[in-house]
Amino acid sequence: MLMLEHVAKSFDSLRAVKDVSLTVPQGAIIGLIGPNGSGKSTLMNVIAGSLQPDAGRILFDGHDITDESARDIYQRGLARSFQDPSLFFRMSVLDNMLLPVKQQRGEQPARAPWHRLWRRDEDAHAAVAAANLADTQLRGHYAQPASDLSGGQMKLLELARSMMGDPKLLLLDEPTAGVAPALAYTIFDRIEALRQAGLTFLIVEHRLEILFNYVDSVYVMHLGEVIAHGTPADIQQNAQVREVYFGE
Amino acid sequence: MYALMAIGLTLTFAVLKLPNFAHAELITIGAYAALVMSLFITSNPLIVMGVAFVVAALVAVICHRAVYRPLGEVSNSMYTLILASFAVGLILRYIVFLFVDRFDLFDKRIQVPTSVVLQNQWLTITNIFLWVVPTSIVLVIALSLLLEYTTIGREMRALADNGVLARIIGVPVERVNTITWILAGGLAGVGGALWGMYTFVNPLVGWLAILSVFAATVLGGMTSFIGTILGAYLVAFSENTVMQLLNHYLGIDFSFKPAIPFIIIILVLLIRPQGLTGLFHGAPIFRAQTTREV
Amino acid sequence: MLNIDLVATLIALLTFFGISAMIALSLNLEYGLAGVPNFGQALFVSVGAYTAGVTYTRLMPLLAGRDVIDPCGASLGQALGLRSEIIRTVPAVGFTNFAVTLVIAALIGGVVGYLASYPALRLKEEWYLALVLLVGSEIVRIIVRSYDPIICAHNGLSGLAQPFAFLGNSRLSSMAFAGLVLTAAGLVYLYTQRLARSPYGRLLKAVRENDMVAASLGKSVPRARAQVMFIGSAIAAIAGVFFVTNLGFASANDYAVAFTLDIWVMIVLGGLGNMRGAVLGALIVTVLDRVTQVMAIQLDMMGSQFEFNYVRFIVFGVILLLMLRYRPQGLLPEPLETTRAHAHLAEAGD
Repeated sequence: MLMLEHVAKSFDSLRAVKDVSLTVPQGAIIGLIGPNGSGKSTLMNVIAGSLQPDAGRILFDGHDITDESARDIYQRGLARSFQDPSLFFRMSVLDNMLLPVKQQRGEQPARAPWHRLWRRDEDAHAAVAAANLADTQLRGHYAQPASDLSGGQMKLLELARSMMGDPKLLLLDEPTAGVAPALAYTIFDRIEALRQAGLTFLIVEHRLEILFNYVDSVYVMHLGEVIAHGTPADIQQNAQVREVYFGE
Repeated sequence: MYALMAIGLTLTFAVLKLPNFAHAELITIGAYAALVMSLFITSNPLIVMGVAFVVAALVAVICHRAVYRPLGEVSNSMYTLILASFAVGLILRYIVFLFVDRFDLFDKRIQVPTSVVLQNQWLTITNIFLWVVPTSIVLVIALSLLLEYTTIGREMRALADNGVLARIIGVPVERVNTITWILAGGLAGVGGALWGMYTFVNPLVGWLAILSVFAATVLGGMTSFIGTILGAYLVAFSENTVMQLLNHYLGIDFSFKPAIPFIIIILVLLIRPQGLTGLFHGAPIFRAQTTREV
Repeated sequence: MLNIDLVATLIALLTFFGISAMIALSLNLEYGLAGVPNFGQALFVSVGAYTAGVTYTRLMPLLAGRDVIDPCGASLGQALGLRSEIIRTVPAVGFTNFAVTLVIAALIGGVVGYLASYPALRLKEEWYLALVLLVGSEIVRIIVRSYDPIICAHNGLSGLAQPFAFLGNSRLSSMAFAGLVLTAAGLVYLYTQRLARSPYGRLLKAVRENDMVAASLGKSVPRARAQVMFIGSAIAAIAGVFFVTNLGFASANDYAVAFTLDIWVMIVLGGLGNMRGAVLGALIVTVLDRVTQVMAIQLDMMGSQFEFNYVRFIVFGVILLLMLRYRPQGLLPEPLETTRAHAHLAEAGD
């Protein structure tokens, strides 16, 4: 589904990502872990097209997306979430949900003033949004500003919002950051349910105790390189990982 | 003179992250303080400039306490601050207008004794010129030394560099802010006073100069002091010499002159937004550059 | 004691209100909704004025089958006479010329606005765009003021009469014109309001709130900004045509920074992102403006030394500061919900 071949990215003298290769198979949940500053977030930005890699190739769904813009990559079905809740806080929950819908007719200024041209589409999208919100227990909040939600609800809304663009693969950057443990499991249960429905995930996460219950395999990054890859059990046994990651 | 005015603007922008359009009015107020002083009390240029410094600095601190600080607490939008600085500028400018209108002080020249020091067929140098140039240079050097070698200077640079970090390591932010305003306002005031000795004073002097001053600041890279000084001289140079050349060779009318600093601003922002600063990496003592996160 | 013509004042007030409302709506679309800090709105309004300057002097004589006379310099008086004569005697030509002016102005304004959104792509920090637009607007003003062919440089151009001038009766013609202006303002209101409450409005708000996230959700941020600048600037230029023909005189100095600031006061006061707010802000500012003018005249006639015109600016400055500090959302805050989909969900029930 997603393949990285020898991807590298530097900022001035800092080599944030050096020569990373990894594969995310269709329908899998793959974890990406590593200590702070190991280059995970930079790698996410490179995959999503927010940053251009200096070297290497990125293949998604059979296409070379190495040099494509964030917008084009999204149109291909690769959506991402950010580490900090990146909602449109002064907009309603429903507006947050409806924004990512692709190819909206009412988004063209020439058609926007005539609601007869887009009203039916809009109502259909709203129905889909309502169903997605119901799956994340946010249905009742649809008319509130996104800033009124709790931290966990914001994370859930972000996840629900990513679904509105019909993605094939989701890049999640710390989907449970700052969320109470019980809700963190709810979020991962939701991710698992979406995987059952055919989605693929690449997840950066610090809470290994939760992550390890859900992933098929894990890549470990350190100082811009992948130092290990394997099942959670393998990783926990890996001496090098224990050294850099658990400080042993 | 542009250098003095521009340095103040750079200070407020670098340290306080505020593009202060009301800087114009600090210049005007300095010029008028000097004018009133010179007309009614004494014409000693040093005292006149001192008064200009004090009055403009005082107004600057009042603006900070009454407007910018409370606003900074409710909003962190740059546009709010820009709008507020325009509003402050409007209020100050028309208060000056009211005052000037009442006492009929339009287009007066600041009265200091004038004498011609040197005159030949190319240029005339009066003692005013001898006041203006050295004063600018001395103040600029004094400010550089202050920034480099004193505690408050170091604190200002720390705040310019990284506001959050400076707060954490215990820089007394409020005190530094106040002193920044005093310096910025004071220098603008002296700049206005010198301007008034050189030409005439009216309530729009600052407003007419402000965009040239912004041009100097932008050319200098917004946050670098040495860059600003060079920028100021370049702007002054292009306004005069380049205009002469354009007029001579291309027949462009002198009425286009005010457009020059603006064109400089646009070109710099579009082509080389870091201004001249990149050229001075070898001279870090003068830098108070904002580092941006990657 | 109040020796002013109330009806005339009211008509003038309504005309000014309609024109200001159009400009305020366009800025509210650009900044209030989409977050593009257009500190050069005077430029886009002036496009309308300059277009009128050109069409009145070049196109109108052609439409009337007359020879074009150089509007500046020695033949100034003759050219002015020709303009007035055509407008007074051949209303059809006057209206055709006015309509053509509106269309051309909207197109030029739109294209200039579209282009003006491009520097944003290159600028290091977002607020530089504010400076670029502010300064760009001043450059154009200085150039027009110094360059003869558009509106005779610093002399300005008079005789840009509004198309109803043929009625002969000044009260009747100004009433008709006020009606036209208010109709246009009403249409602009409906148009901007519908845009704001559409998926496009939602896109603009998202771009304003967080352009990076909007891009990561597959939206083209530069295109959205360019489109809104096209629309907003076209509206501003149309308003500019009304503005200049209402004055009857085009002068580059009318379109300085102070003009832009007045518009900002209107939208900050009325409510950023709320189209009704922009109209309310325009109303309050125009009324205040008139009141201070009338007071200044009255005081002057009573022999007062006090220059009340200056007070107007101080009052506007204070209003702006108070709003920013205590009610940044404006008198009428932006509605939370964008489209009617919310109502649709509410009907569907929870």
